[in-house]
Amino acid sequence: MIHHLALTLEQRPEVLERVLRVVRHRGFRICTMNMTEQDDKFLQLHMAVDSDRAVELLSRQLDKLLDVTQCVVTTPSAMSQTVSA
Amino acid sequence: MEQGQTISGSQAVIEVLAAHGVDTVFGYPGGAIMPIYDAIYGSSVQHLLCRHEQGAAFAAVGYARASGKVGVCFATSGPGATNLVTGLADAMMDSVPVVAITGQVSTKVIGTDAFQEMDVLGMSLSCTKHSFMVTSREELIPTLYRAFEIAASGRPGPVLVDIPKDIQVGQLEYKTPLQAVATEAAVDSAAIAAANELIRQAKQPMLYAGGGVGMAGAVTELRDFIARTGMPSVCTLKALGAVEPSTAGYLGMLGMHGNQAANHAVQECDLLVVVGARFDDRVTGKLNTFAPHAKVVHLDIDAAEQGKLRQPQVALTGELQQLLPQLGEALNIAPWQQHVAQLAEQYAWNYDRPGELIYAPRMLNQLAHKLPQDSVVSCDVGQHQMWVAQHMWFRKPEDHLSSAGFGTMGFGLPAAIGAQISRPDAKVVAVSGDGSFMMNVQELTTIKRRKLPVKILLIDNQRLGMVKQWQQLFFEERYSETNLSDNPDFVTLASAFDIPGRTITQSAEVEGALDEMLNAPGAYLLHVRIDETFNVWPLVPPGAANSDMIEDLEA
Repeated sequence: MIHHLALTLEQRPEVLERVLRVVRHRGFRICTMNMTEQDDKFLQLHMAVDSDRAVELLSRQLDKLLDVTQCVVTTPSAMSQTVSA
Repeated sequence: MEQGQTISGSQAVIEVLAAHGVDTVFGYPGGAIMPIYDAIYGSSVQHLLCRHEQGAAFAAVGYARASGKVGVCFATSGPGATNLVTGLADAMMDSVPVVAITGQVSTKVIGTDAFQEMDVLGMSLSCTKHSFMVTSREELIPTLYRAFEIAASGRPGPVLVDIPKDIQVGQLEYKTPLQAVATEAAVDSAAIAAANELIRQAKQPMLYAGGGVGMAGAVTELRDFIARTGMPSVCTLKALGAVEPSTAGYLGMLGMHGNQAANHAVQECDLLVVVGARFDDRVTGKLNTFAPHAKVVHLDIDAAEQGKLRQPQVALTGELQQLLPQLGEALNIAPWQQHVAQLAEQYAWNYDRPGELIYAPRMLNQLAHKLPQDSVVSCDVGQHQMWVAQHMWFRKPEDHLSSAGFGTMGFGLPAAIGAQISRPDAKVVAVSGDGSFMMNVQELTTIKRRKLPVKILLIDNQRLGMVKQWQQLFFEERYSETNLSDNPDFVTLASAFDIPGRTITQSAEVEGALDEMLNAPGAYLLHVRIDETFNVWPLVPPGAANSDMIEDLEA
């Protein structure tokens, strides 16, 4: 299933490597990707990723990266039956 | 040090360590980190030379795990840094707060394949919680402060700071950064209420406690929760010590080599309250058969653990110290409590073994009863590690160091060294096997160097025992590369490092030999020969459900 993710990243030389490593390791394949400089501090990254796994398994790992300031899934969730705090 | 003073980058590194209460660093010098070694020379921060960077990393891990403080290790560029990797990966899997500082070649030659150059930042991405390469003098102090904060906060983990040599020698103004005050996230009261409702309705609830309990400093809150609810409990390998062993309804470790009672109770339960645990495959067995009738309430600091392997009905993400007191009340579950007590009795360990050979489970149980209040057991990986988990008991999680998630052979000896440094008054015992011991045996020199009173209990079956056990059970007894009968003479080996010791082979010798080891004034190695046919029981075969444990086939 294809999922779309929108990320805001801090400008660090290695930030893209960090994100791509997590995407690969957690079992997702990048279909399309577009990165633009927001300003001298932040980058905007849009990705479409493909996997049989629930997209939350990826988005929550990306959210944990300290250089990822925001990670939004723009496709619907399969893990919505949990009550969360 | 006064603000605004001009110092070198290397001096700044030592100042930041001192400001964070770091009393000892573990490491090994080399070309690209020489300015930092020059700055630590004669400073207030102690340094313990380990004889391999992997040993230094594990000593930092042991220091951290036994004390709750951040462990720090140093290594030079290139091979120094690559040798740290296994220790960092171990800290990553077990969420241990460690700061690793590596020297790097000078900024202007990075990317030219300079001598001992390696892309350490790139290498660190998969084995650290976060990592930095410092690119300017001004960044150095704020980056180091940030490294300590990241290592210890949230779900702890290792942080690497790579510092090029020119930044180490460059002059900068000493200025400590302003530190952000952590704000406590509010917990959703609806989720707390939903969790409490599930707990109230449950007829057969089980508590499944993980390593997060100890890391969060929530042992007291967990014990209060158990006392309040009367809920039966099990622990993961890393949680051992979190539940007081004599607690009613406590069934010990669950999982592949867990107690049968623990696994059966979890399989039968109708509610699993998971606290700081992550449904590891060694815990669950075949995942879709694990606790098949249970609803799940999952408490964890890390949102990424919620639903990673098992979908919870209620997910509570936050500080365990804050969450646990809001959950549970006195439960009316007497029939279940009685059933659990009956399971505990039915599957209690039996230490009766006829014959004169040394039965390692019984010896370890004897050791547990002999250890003083302030003690640490540091394990290696393999059969002896599981026997320690099954047959010893611990007063708190910090008293049991075991490479749980990563399962790194060679962990035990250097981690014991770190533990002895952070808890100098504790009785520290490294329990190792003949395979694991040889993996970081060079650290005997580190014990000698600092005259550390670390006791080594070396359980020797002349085999790579756990692999041999699997070959016996699942690979048609084809013993590929697991015969270690050409081991060195371990007592003679220890004596070369001024460490006394003795070998025992008979059951009747155990009691006296354990006393002799524990009462030795300094380091001591007790070499225990056991029969290679002894295996770890019970066992959940790979791919099986936890309800299908197999017991000792020979007993």
